[in-house]
Amino acid sequence: MSTTTTASAEAAPSAADTLFERLADVWVELEERLERVPILARLAEGTVTLDDYRRLLFNLRQQVVDGSPWISRAASSFDGDHFELRSAAIRHAEEEHRDHLMLERDYVAIGGSLDELRAGRKNIGSEALSAYMFHYAGRPNPVGLLGAMFIIEGLGARRAAGWAARFQEVLGLADNQVHFMRYHQDADTEHTGNLEAILTSGAIDARAADEIVRCAQVVARLYALQLEELDR
Amino acid sequence: MGATANAYLTGFGRYLPGAPVDNDGIAARLGGDDPVTERIRRRILESNGIRQRHYALDEHGEPTELNEELAVKALRAALDDRGIDAADIRMLACATTMGDVLVPGFASMVHGRLGGGPMQLLSASGVCASSLAALDAAVSKIRLGDHPRAAVVGSELPSRSLRQRRYDGVRAGMDSHFLRWMLSDGAGAVVVEFQPHPDKPSLRVDWVRHVSLAHEHDVCMRAGMTGPEPVLGGTWQDVDIADAEAAGMFLLRQDVGMLDDLADAGIRQFEELVDIGLVDVRHLDHVVCHYSTNMFRDVAFEALRRRIPTLDTDRWFSNLETRGNTGSASIFIALEEAWRTGRFAPGETVLLAVPESGRFSFAFAHLTVVAPPHQQGATP
Repeated sequence: MSTTTTASAEAAPSAADTLFERLADVWVELEERLERVPILARLAEGTVTLDDYRRLLFNLRQQVVDGSPWISRAASSFDGDHFELRSAAIRHAEEEHRDHLMLERDYVAIGGSLDELRAGRKNIGSEALSAYMFHYAGRPNPVGLLGAMFIIEGLGARRAAGWAARFQEVLGLADNQVHFMRYHQDADTEHTGNLEAILTSGAIDARAADEIVRCAQVVARLYALQLEELDR
Repeated sequence: MGATANAYLTGFGRYLPGAPVDNDGIAARLGGDDPVTERIRRRILESNGIRQRHYALDEHGEPTELNEELAVKALRAALDDRGIDAADIRMLACATTMGDVLVPGFASMVHGRLGGGPMQLLSASGVCASSLAALDAAVSKIRLGDHPRAAVVGSELPSRSLRQRRYDGVRAGMDSHFLRWMLSDGAGAVVVEFQPHPDKPSLRVDWVRHVSLAHEHDVCMRAGMTGPEPVLGGTWQDVDIADAEAAGMFLLRQDVGMLDDLADAGIRQFEELVDIGLVDVRHLDHVVCHYSTNMFRDVAFEALRRRIPTLDTDRWFSNLETRGNTGSASIFIALEEAWRTGRFAPGETVLLAVPESGRFSFAFAHLTVVAPPHQQGATP
């Protein structure tokens, strides 16, 4: 089914602790990579432009519209033995279902054209990320996707509001123009809380933990690629 | 509290119909060449100081354009100045004293002629201060982040109703003559955005303030009513049109005896702006003031100089004498000229002031000149 390497879990105090430590390493690596992403570097140093923000929304939108569909596909891939994960996925899919509409309103509020936004195509990184998510979600019992959630929801909970605030500070944007990024701080903090509950529930065995970490690594890299490959 | 955006004026336009008409050319267009009218006209022109103006009338006094056409031409000039198209704006706020038609609203007609895409409209009616009321609405929506770009226009075409045929057989006293030889046609427009102009200076709108004192003042300027008192049976809508016309209800009138009160009230409003700190007299660099006649120029100028001793004529701008009194359009026509002729430098502040005699309204706007974003680092 997967070609994950079998990590040694024998020396670890508990599977959950080890899993969190391994995910934390993935996160640290992602953060280091994000610092080098050109648009985020410009955001940090305050040289970002309105066109940068517009491009970011444009590029994110093309992948965000796929969020709810791949989570829904994942829900349908969980069998009866993974009933709780199926429930969680169904709930989550519903919650994400209208997210892109918020992003679209922000795009229009800064002067963008809704028609052009909706006619846009995915960038190279978004293509890879979206294709990987759909592929993974179609596998039987795709428990590894919890690693994807860790990355994507983590970015929403820990980084998006900071980006929104910085864009507002540098570009003088109103709250009405950064709904999408601001909203994710609250929504994704709730989601990451749910995720932690699942990861610590004892339902994750060593093999599942490997899958989760591997999926997190791939998604972290592809998410950064999406931000690196704006408009390409 | 939620964060709001800034609002910047990034494009300026005006449209003055036809060639300028000097004082000798008025009678050919508006009529009234009998000796009595002639004498009144000369006296009024002497006091208001207007040397030339524009009319959307040909040399025989026949209309050449609609008010909505003036508005659209000023808007196009402002959009061109900014380098954008009507399709780029999401809100259009229009001010006029009288549109071409009774229904629908003026902004609907202007939008229909201007084109562009779907947009929010506002028709601000009133008199001279209605253009700043329209600006206030547009600025507020920009600051909320509801729209990225808006356009605001003030437009007037009173000349049609100042022609002799309106006065024939109607008792017209000083209250109607005063305006007849003072008002003229024109339109002025601005583009409002949440970002400054990318490579030219912009005017940041710090605040707009609009105050009515109608609760303690009678009607000063009117049309469509028999006298200053609003009474049933005394408005043009209550009686037959022919009777309304015979009663002189369609003449625009102003109770000139109230104008000193208006000037005093306007000065008190300015004093209040200083008292509550909206205007910092140490950092006020320019004043663009609308006034109907030069009589009030000196009154207003001296009153402001009491609070701003450094205010000299270089920092005071009006183009009443050369562009005429165009009512709600005046403040944008003056701002456009002041801006285009390079009176303002980055970092300086500008106060717009518009007293409205209608029933005592006063509008002010405070602006700050900002350099283009890429030059801001170089500005101390």
